Amino acid sequence: MEEKPSKVSLKSSDRHGLDKESKERVCSDIRDLWTTATLSQSELNTPLSDVCLNFDAEGRSISQTRDWYGQGRRSLDEGDKASQKLRRSSSMEINQGKEDTASEIKAEKSSSRSSLDISKHIPHQAYWAEQQNRVPLPLMELMENEVLEILTEALWSYRLGIGRDHFLTKELRQYIEGLKKRRSKRLYVIEDALGSSRPEPAPCHAGSPDPSLTPSE
Amino acid sequence: MRLKQGSFLWYLYLDKVHCLLSVRNVKTLLEYFHLLDVHGKNTLNDVLFYHFLHHATDLNKTQINLVFDLLDWSAVGEIGFEQFYVLVCILLAHENHLEEQFMYRHSRTVFDLLDLNGDQIISPKNFGMYRFLFNIQKQELKDLFCDFDITGDHRLNYQEFKLYTIVRIDKLQKRQNKTEENAKRERSILCS
Repeated sequence: MEEKPSKVSLKSSDRHGLDKESKERVCSDIRDLWTTATLSQSELNTPLSDVCLNFDAEGRSISQTRDWYGQGRRSLDEGDKASQKLRRSSSMEINQGKEDTASEIKAEKSSSRSSLDISKHIPHQAYWAEQQNRVPLPLMELMENEVLEILTEALWSYRLGIGRDHFLTKELRQYIEGLKKRRSKRLYVIEDALGSSRPEPAPCHAGSPDPSLTPSE
Repeated sequence: MRLKQGSFLWYLYLDKVHCLLSVRNVKTLLEYFHLLDVHGKNTLNDVLFYHFLHHATDLNKTQINLVFDLLDWSAVGEIGFEQFYVLVCILLAHENHLEEQFMYRHSRTVFDLLDLNGDQIISPKNFGMYRFLFNIQKQELKDLFCDFDITGDHRLNYQEFKLYTIVRIDKLQKRQNKTEENAKRERSILCS
């Protein structure tokens, strides 16, 4: 089920203009970090509270209400309003942030971070905006694997209870096959991506040993 | 009753104050529910429900069937997402030892669940069938009906049930305070 994505502002230029003290305000429970795993890298000066827009600085959800399932729906709306406010305020800070970024870059030239690295983070904004409303892939994989196991066992029960030819049994069988295909397609894409991103090994020529391997005299 | 380690539900957790799932966890749970919804009816039938609980917990067949009957509020043979969500919250409360807080915070919901006949009272037999969900021992259940059946009808109405949840959580807090005090005393003895 696709939901309307909440408008999350994740301008990377804001990240670098933010106070370092705010970095210390991190969600206490590690399980809150599954949408922000890569932001824990030390190179990114991004407080998690800015990314987890539905959570306050102490890691508590700001969208909690008291009812049952309706709570989830209402809190989604509140989360959207909060994220819209943040986006408005952050858009005003962009220009200021940009000037701060330029001065910071000059000051940190000796560090490993370069302007090229910073520009790479800007395209990730759309990725993080999307991730706010998507289940992370590892969790999706875990869910699908578990559901496949459950449904495979259920298929046996269907066959024993209502027979192989019943339309419900056929529907379940087709659903399981569809799920397996989707999973194998995703694994294929991941393997393909991993394969293309791996650096090619240096060609080794017979008879000419690698100079690094020869002992220095 | 325990969740199987490594299962999807095992990774979820309740907020300790309100004993509910966060929005993100609810969204994830909804995705999971839709994956299980094979026939596209936004419900789980008894077979799918049985295999889900059998896979995720260590409940036996009888207990799973009892839980299904408990949640099938309309007696249609199917469970919707609302009931599924309630079940997951109960399972997580049990797993994280938050039974007292859960019953206190959501006493009305729990009472309505245990009121199988819909006559606004809980009988000892019905409560006894489902005490495994809330980690209530047999003797504790007997004492409950002895101490809180104020009207003397050998049943619990909502006010009596609510009083029970208040007393139970009060006892829990006193136990926790006592444990902390003992720990502090031991630490001070060790330091001196």
